[in-house]
Amino acid sequence: MSLPEVHLICGTRPQAVRLAPVAVAMREAGLVAPVLVAGGRYPAMVGQAFAAFGLAPDVTLRVERGAGSRPELRTEMIRRLDALWAERTPAAALVQGDTTTSLAGALAASWRRIPLVHLEAGLRSDDLGSSFPEEADRRLIAQVAALHLTPTPLAAMNLLDENIATGDVLITGNTVVDAALAVAARRLPFENTEVAAVRAAAAGRRLVVVAAHRRETWGAPLDRILAAVRRLVERYADIDVILPTHPNPAVRAQVHAGLGGVDRVTITGPLPYPDLSRLLSEAYLVLTDSADIQQEAPSFGVPALVLREVTEPAGSLRAGCARFVGSDTDVIVEHASALLDSRVRREAMTAGGNPYGDGLAARRAAQATAALLGLADHPDPMPALESHAAAYGASY
Amino acid sequence: MTGTAESVAFYARSWINRDRVAARRMIAPDAEIEWNLEAAVDDEELVQTLHRIAAFADSVTVVSTTCAGDRASLVYDCAAPFGTVRVAEFVTVAGGTLSEIRQVYDVVALRRYFPGLLDQD
Repeated sequence: MSLPEVHLICGTRPQAVRLAPVAVAMREAGLVAPVLVAGGRYPAMVGQAFAAFGLAPDVTLRVERGAGSRPELRTEMIRRLDALWAERTPAAALVQGDTTTSLAGALAASWRRIPLVHLEAGLRSDDLGSSFPEEADRRLIAQVAALHLTPTPLAAMNLLDENIATGDVLITGNTVVDAALAVAARRLPFENTEVAAVRAAAAGRRLVVVAAHRRETWGAPLDRILAAVRRLVERYADIDVILPTHPNPAVRAQVHAGLGGVDRVTITGPLPYPDLSRLLSEAYLVLTDSADIQQEAPSFGVPALVLREVTEPAGSLRAGCARFVGSDTDVIVEHASALLDSRVRREAMTAGGNPYGDGLAARRAAQATAALLGLADHPDPMPALESHAAAYGASY
Repeated sequence: MTGTAESVAFYARSWINRDRVAARRMIAPDAEIEWNLEAAVDDEELVQTLHRIAAFADSVTVVSTTCAGDRASLVYDCAAPFGTVRVAEFVTVAGGTLSEIRQVYDVVALRRYFPGLLDQD
């Protein structure tokens, strides 16, 4: 007898990274058949991300680039999913996060009354005005989902505050942690030849990964960050810096102007996911404005200095494994030096574990989805961190 | 434009323009209506609520319409003075009128930006 299908809807590379562990966990549990549905404008990029996990999309819904605006893309995705599900109705659908594809998947499922599972549910900026429509999309998905899988206790609380039933919410942790651990554990050879050469020649030098990609970092903040990196390299002869840049040509030019030719600094283009995961697993310290890297790094015992003034997923800050340093050159150098000078201080930051996940989020998500369909018992939520900082919400 | 698209477009235009008579005429007498608000709903309650939203809002925009046979899915943005509420609506059209209507509101934003809307008689 064939297993009931669960369609995992994916429109972006970060979504593929988060959904892949869930698909793997579903296959391993053998209770439902995961079907990877790649949609949106860039299904090829989605396919590449899945490939890092030995997966490939089962269904590709290509939306032409002519569908330029968000509403057009959403409308087209709803239309395509509805047509797919008219022929091949899944027992449940699963969407992740708050992208246009996520909302389209949620609405298409609701339209056909297909039970919807929302992965990475409950994230809120609490800034309804500036974040429209993402915040509105998140809340609308919450209204149509039957099961809400949250990355953190705070995200679960956000949903309970919105009158979502407690029994429909499960704290799973973030599957991005599962993904990073799984891919890094494979220790695949670096695809990027430059990175491979640098790591092979490291000779015991410590690795500092710098990833500053966000649009609000471009320009003057990035210049200040690059100046800090230059000072750190000058001060510490035993560090190598690898800095994957944003593909935007202007940003690449800015990075090369700031750090090009500096000894022990390697500037690369965007790295494949397995390369980045392996680098994080080998890093001594991470400087980043990326929420993803901030969430992945603590799983490898690597603290993150967050190059942002404000950030949404502040769980790592409360748990102590990340610190806001913004983009001030002196502040970055001061905090990075403190960690480079003291391994004890560095290790103390991540001793409390990763508040975003314990590497079992995907298994919980798979079991909870099966439970929704009456095929398994409900899983236990991710245990709370034992760190006092996490428990009491201390800020750093 | 298909019959379904025409019907839902006329229905949406009617309530957005606060034409209660026209909106009610587009809803079949025995229509199945549901929403994710706490109050019970029938055609009269639905039309009254939509009317109050349209009256209070600075603008109501249909941001997407997807039709498949006799079914349609719409997304509205209802812009109030202090913020915007997103609403999804799923309908079925039979004989030129709406025989099924299911609305999903962003309840948090609705309570925040349309204060009192859900408390009125």
